[in-house]
Amino acid sequence: MKETVIEILMDVRPDIDLGEGVQLIDDGELESLDIVALVGELNDEFDINISVKHLIPENFNSVDAIVALIESLQE
Amino acid sequence: MSFVSLNFVIFVAVAAGAYFLCPAKYRWGILLAASQFFYLLTSPHTYVFLLFTTITTFCGGIFIERQTECYKNFVKEHKEELDRKQKKEWKARYDRKKRRILLAVLLLNLGILAFVKYFKVYLNTLSRLLELESISFEAGILIPLGISFYTFQSLGYLIDIYREQYKADRNPLKFALFVSWFPQIIQGPISRYDQLAEQLYEPHFFQYERVKFGIQLMMWGWFKKLVVADRVAVFVNQVFDRYTEYTGFYAILGVIGYTIQIYGDFSGGMDIARGVSQIFGIDLTLNFKRPYFATNIPEFWRRWHITLGAWCRDYIFYPISLSKFFGKLGKSSRKLLGDRIGKLVPVIFAQLITFFVIGIWHGAEFKYTAYGLYQAVFIIGGILFEPFIIRLTELLRINTKAFSWRLFQISRTFILIVIGRFFSRGTSFTAALWMMKHSFDLNPGIFFNGDIFTLGLTPKDFILLGFCLVFWIIISVIQECGYSVRQLIAQQNAVFRWMIYLAGIFAVMVFGVYGIGYDAGSFIYRGF
Repeated sequence: MKETVIEILMDVRPDIDLGEGVQLIDDGELESLDIVALVGELNDEFDINISVKHLIPENFNSVDAIVALIESLQE
Repeated sequence: MSFVSLNFVIFVAVAAGAYFLCPAKYRWGILLAASQFFYLLTSPHTYVFLLFTTITTFCGGIFIERQTECYKNFVKEHKEELDRKQKKEWKARYDRKKRRILLAVLLLNLGILAFVKYFKVYLNTLSRLLELESISFEAGILIPLGISFYTFQSLGYLIDIYREQYKADRNPLKFALFVSWFPQIIQGPISRYDQLAEQLYEPHFFQYERVKFGIQLMMWGWFKKLVVADRVAVFVNQVFDRYTEYTGFYAILGVIGYTIQIYGDFSGGMDIARGVSQIFGIDLTLNFKRPYFATNIPEFWRRWHITLGAWCRDYIFYPISLSKFFGKLGKSSRKLLGDRIGKLVPVIFAQLITFFVIGIWHGAEFKYTAYGLYQAVFIIGGILFEPFIIRLTELLRINTKAFSWRLFQISRTFILIVIGRFFSRGTSFTAALWMMKHSFDLNPGIFFNGDIFTLGLTPKDFILLGFCLVFWIIISVIQECGYSVRQLIAQQNAVFRWMIYLAGIFAVMVFGVYGIGYDAGSFIYRGF
């Protein structure tokens, strides 16, 4: 799952920095437009429904956080 | 009570004294008393509106949370009887109830906001439609102080409770403090409950360093407002209010002046609000991050009035672009328009609606809608043409990492922002278009024959303005490089440090624009 998320992130934002310690939202790597595109892709890929209430920085700050969000929605 | 009056300074000093002398447990009570007193003193006739918003959002939050709890308890009690589908159905049932409460409170508060803010414009439009041209409704009704700001802040809280992002506040007096915190009630920032409330409720202790930094920030705000913004306002008002007399370079100077004025006025007010809060140990959200250094329009909106942009993003842009309707629209657009453009359709619509709202948030006149849509056009254009622009820079072998490219981007963005200011400051939409058109009536002679000094400012004023702007730009560059100017000052020796303090006080006292009939309290954003 982690690899797929990274692939989607690279697709949405080819110049994204996924280095260790980078906070994707807090450090401005992902902007609101990217988030909308990312959510659409994740919903389609994992058959989940990420809604507005999940759009908090903690859920998108890292690849691991995104994976955790997907897993929680798949339960 | 104006932020730039002696009364305000005394008020803050007394409130801070009472706060630090009061037992820690009751300190939030002093903040509440000071905030209510400030509002009653500044806008007594419209206090009831503030009270209404406080009560409705407080009760709305509790009622919404009660539905969430009811659902959780129900599921807990019937854990073994319910399958996944049934749970979903029950959740939808409780969600509907929550949505009804949310909508009722939203409509009530937004209805009041729309009524008091746009009343005069509605009546005048109606009189025009009924061909009653001779009748003009100048009176209107009193606009409650800070209504756009505290309404958005309170409704943000309510929507977050609906989204179960945090617990509803159970203390009405503490919640009243969150809504009415006096430094931010006039013109923001629009704070989030999870960022501000706890800071207001918990006791803070006197810290010399923090109080000192707070006062310094206030001084910087007064400098921007009184020395720069209010000085530029003298010729800006002259040009815009009698725009048919001032064409060519007058109009260009006027609109550049207004671009400086509104930044100095609004960000100066923010610095005062943040400085006062800092004295009490409270950190307000940053509302400006050197916006005129932005390299494109989207970045400008991430640096200008940050809290309004964030509010619109979280409560308008995301819900629209992620809604089922726009999701379906995106999918069908992908088939019709191809993958890339199709994916962008929901985002484009959401941007258009968001900037339309930002426009009408500023006022009901069409010029504000035009201002919002003007911004949206560049943002949407940027999204649509991004691949072509990247391709073009590659073809032209432009080094996009070079400083010169960044400088070009900053200048281009600044020019676009300046042009947009014709709409927000023009006396009407048609006046803005007229001014834009007649900006090309070039009249360079005004710089040489002394006509430029007939706008209300003397040559000395222009020289002073020039010095102040250079000083402001230097400070901004230092901040942009990641340094804290106040920390740098704190590291200096006492003599040099005090020379800076005294120079600051002297600049505000001597060079601030005062005089008979001058209303220093009239911050531009207070009117929004």
